[in-house]
Amino acid sequence: MSRRPPRGEYIETDTGNKVARKATLVGTQNIMLGGKTVIQPDVMIRGDLARTIPPAQSASGGPANNTAVAIGRYCFLSRGCCLRPPGRMYKGVFTFMPLRLGDHVFVGPGTVVQAAQIGNHVHIGGKVVIGEFAIIKDYVKVLDGSVVPPNMVIPSFSIVAGQPARIIGEIPEGGIEAFELRDLYKTVGNNPQPTAP
Amino acid sequence: MSSATPSPVPSSAHGHHKRHSILPAVSQSGPKPPVQFSSSCTIADSALLTGPHTIIVSTESVIHPRARLESLGGRVTVGRRCIVHERACLGAADLQGRYHKGSPDKEGRSMGAVTLGDYVTVEVGAQVESGGTVIGEGTTVGIGTRVGAGAVVGKHCTLTANSTVAAGEVIPDYTVIYSNGLRRIDRRGVSELKNKAQARQIDVLRRMIPSNPGKFQ
Amino acid sequence: MFGNNRLPAFHPGLTQSRIRDTTTGSGLWFPGLRSPPLPSESDPANDQLPLPITPEDLYDTPMAPFNPYTYIRCPCSELNPYTKRTPDVTAQGLSRAAQDDDDHTFDPRAARSNYSLYPLEYLSFCEDCHQIRCPRCVAEEIVCYYCPNCLFEVPSSNIRSEGSRCTRSCFQCPICIGPLAVNHVETPPDPNQLLSPDHASSSHSGSYVLSCSYCNWSSTEIGIKFDKPNSIHMQLAKLRNGGETRLTAKERKERRKEQASQGGGGGSSTGQGEEDLDTLLDMETQFANLKSFYQNQLSDANGTGKVGGDPSAALGNLGFDAPASLSRIMSLYTGSSSLHDKKSKSRPGTMREALAPSEGLQLASLDESSAITALQDFESTTGLDAYSSTASTTQLQSQAPYLGASPLHGLTRFTSSLRPIPYLLRTKRSKRCPQCRHIISKPESKVTTTRFRIRLIAGNYIPTITIKQLIIPGLTPPPMPNLPPDTIEPLKPAQFVLTFKNPIFESVRVTLATPATTPGRFPAKVTILCPQFEIDSNTDVWEEALKDNNATSSSSQAQNLSSSTGPEGSGPGGRKRAGTLRPGTAGGASLAGEELGPEVGKVWERGRNWTSIVIEVIPASLVQTAKRDGRGPIKEDEDVLEIPMFVRIEWEAEAPEDEIMPGLSSTKGGNKDGGKEKRELAYWCVLGLGRVARTL
Repeated sequence: MSRRPPRGEYIETDTGNKVARKATLVGTQNIMLGGKTVIQPDVMIRGDLARTIPPAQSASGGPANNTAVAIGRYCFLSRGCCLRPPGRMYKGVFTFMPLRLGDHVFVGPGTVVQAAQIGNHVHIGGKVVIGEFAIIKDYVKVLDGSVVPPNMVIPSFSIVAGQPARIIGEIPEGGIEAFELRDLYKTVGNNPQPTAP
Repeated sequence: MSSATPSPVPSSAHGHHKRHSILPAVSQSGPKPPVQFSSSCTIADSALLTGPHTIIVSTESVIHPRARLESLGGRVTVGRRCIVHERACLGAADLQGRYHKGSPDKEGRSMGAVTLGDYVTVEVGAQVESGGTVIGEGTTVGIGTRVGAGAVVGKHCTLTANSTVAAGEVIPDYTVIYSNGLRRIDRRGVSELKNKAQARQIDVLRRMIPSNPGKFQ
Repeated sequence: MFGNNRLPAFHPGLTQSRIRDTTTGSGLWFPGLRSPPLPSESDPANDQLPLPITPEDLYDTPMAPFNPYTYIRCPCSELNPYTKRTPDVTAQGLSRAAQDDDDHTFDPRAARSNYSLYPLEYLSFCEDCHQIRCPRCVAEEIVCYYCPNCLFEVPSSNIRSEGSRCTRSCFQCPICIGPLAVNHVETPPDPNQLLSPDHASSSHSGSYVLSCSYCNWSSTEIGIKFDKPNSIHMQLAKLRNGGETRLTAKERKERRKEQASQGGGGGSSTGQGEEDLDTLLDMETQFANLKSFYQNQLSDANGTGKVGGDPSAALGNLGFDAPASLSRIMSLYTGSSSLHDKKSKSRPGTMREALAPSEGLQLASLDESSAITALQDFESTTGLDAYSSTASTTQLQSQAPYLGASPLHGLTRFTSSLRPIPYLLRTKRSKRCPQCRHIISKPESKVTTTRFRIRLIAGNYIPTITIKQLIIPGLTPPPMPNLPPDTIEPLKPAQFVLTFKNPIFESVRVTLATPATTPGRFPAKVTILCPQFEIDSNTDVWEEALKDNNATSSSSQAQNLSSSTGPEGSGPGGRKRAGTLRPGTAGGASLAGEELGPEVGKVWERGRNWTSIVIEVIPASLVQTAKRDGRGPIKEDEDVLEIPMFVRIEWEAEAPEDEIMPGLSSTKGGNKDGGKEKRELAYWCVLGLGRVARTL
């Protein structure tokens, strides 16, 4: 009776997201995926840590948006990385705030991201720690093993490294195409395609 | 073709009713350890408790999902109002895979594997090795940090992300370990405030993380 | 293995750096250059603080696999880069060029090469000169200044008056250079009522501090608190470490006037005996005192000889264009020549030195006993090594100039005298061709936009070259046991596939040349099996995107791929392997038994806009050569097999409307069909293939 296809390693959604069955997603109702995002096995996303204080202009109608982690299109979350919303004391009360990732964000293996905002076309290496409420703008590369301290702002076209991270270089004009993750998206999933030469 | 509007994550590919998490099963290897839980502590359902020795979690402490408490090297004690984040491991094996046993103290009592004081935070993916390891009150063990077997970390210390404390090392109170092993003293004098903030955070976490201590008892 | 890093010399943070990167799947590349990317970053050279991260901290394997690389040489490193033109594409010209190239084979190991080789991403392309431009040869112009922390643009007029640091509230930690946040100081709560609701914390009654959320430093450690949470820079300028207020320039002037009126005499009077010579002056006061002291002297002297002894004008006369200064400088060079003897008498007489603190005299404090006591006190009170209370060289270096406001004599030695570091501004810059002055890169001037108005990058004009070792099961001999992966065995032929991907919308003819043996200490024999080939044009991007979308939406994609995809070379998956396919074999699914090795003169594989060919290398034995040549042991990175290769690409392009400038590296085709013209571009590049094993 069941015409279920054989279970693949990934759950592939209508919007093209590829979510590994071995990924740990807590509080899925608060996790928004923009589409065509890859979540590899052993990735952990803490959607359950939603904000407890409603945003300032939530009274202006519309359903209460309780998104804890918002991820754009063509993001790639490598094995073992962890996304969790940042938390802080606000007017004497502790609250979590949403974590937002733009499009084409690569998160390396074993990396922990607690940023407030990651822009578009950002490459975060492996074993990186992005501190709470950090803001990373577009076209930024965070090298492996970096510790981006809490509240740090990283401007566009920066290359950062170190503990704590500092800007150590600039992305050259010719280097911005390499942030594109469309090709990488195709190489994973239940029907992975070989990489073009 | 994909739509431009973001969509929530599929709770389950085939499930009939909506689940709120995708939590692949984890093999609960080894024996179920004897536990002593305070009635006010929060222990996530998907936390991992293993080992033959007692695991004690005191008043109002929070154990996040996928945190590991291993009592293979001895007793694991979590003080009051501690937070153990996801993927953190208390009582971990050392890098060679050995679980050290704590040497007995002067009165001959076992030191246990790991002892956390009150208000300790063990961040995501931090490893506190087994073997009489002590973390003092109010100390934060940063993301991905490893505390070696038998190390004694003082009170109100901050071990920043990806740092290491060698086995058997004694870290004085208020020490900050940063920038790959540089050390300094925290002179802000805000330990009380930090404890207060920790209490507030726990207040929020207790409402967010469904506790299931019965699973481990 | 970290040495000999060939780095673009354009950014101080990158020179001698040992930055590594894993090409984690996305193919993103960072100029660690030369050495293989290690799965770890490492300390940049210009870091202000120790960054002692080692790969071993992060990974158990100290040596990561080698990532092959291609670096391209910018023509600016040629001896006369702008006068020598690539010869015409005539048969004669070609042969002449070939001869030239034979005469000076490019040596990638030459010291000079370190400054001319770049990965493709770092290169620009001038459309007017039809030439590659590198970060070293382009002229940069600043489009705007901005603070990397608050991302506010700073007008260039402010740079002149305020300096190149953020004057808002953006500071870096003097201890760890992490960002500092402005925090409200809260009173410690009653420990027994930690959970009781309290609203006292929300009412901002007290003051604010700068604190580092990475290393937990706080400005209270240097005794500084602020009254309001904004314009910290201004507040900090008025505060000395310890909380003492510092005089503003205006206040200082007023105070001086007061002193002058009290003292009765002018600033030019001789040092009064009653003044305490040990009076400590801060840097600004001393400077102000010295300035007015010398101004007064100058005005006194000039007042006798000149009309209107305006002090400020006198100071202005110190400029080199002033006649007085000129004569002074001239006399320096000519000595007491008779020519100037007469004049020197009319010059301001002997200038007196400052004799009192009011004149700017500051005695050097050579007594270090207070510093020693401070060290001892630190040890006795905290029980810590006193060393941790002293500032490191890097911490001192990262201090902003003049903000230290420390005692002038004897550098500040303690972390307690460090100051928060206002963020250095960053810039957006446009680039110009060094030869024709045309702009080749221009970002949008708005700080937060990432678009470019002009962006002529070499990657859009010249083919990318990717390298992969060729291993055919059954044909390639199995590697020696105990050999690290991805190393090349010496004295044995190894084959590599070079894939050339064409970025332009015309098909391109490629001619490759390489010396038969590589230059340098360990010569390797090199053979390009197919030195001449064509790459098909890059088709429309939209066409490709549409195809891809269809492919991903179809569920039978996997089957499509494994079977034939229709006409060869049409789709993204369609590829033709010329060397390996026997006639009659359909599609790409050739059986292993039918695999043949690469053939001479034939391309290896070809696709929509790419062609791959095979080169064969026979590396020398490192160990044997090192034994024989007596030039010592094998140095770092000398085991990397690098091959210089000369690439010439030719294509036909739409002729521009206006007449082509003479002397460009393009000539009108003989038969002008459809306004096409022949173009060519030739350059050296170096291929880093891998590490040669240190076996015999």
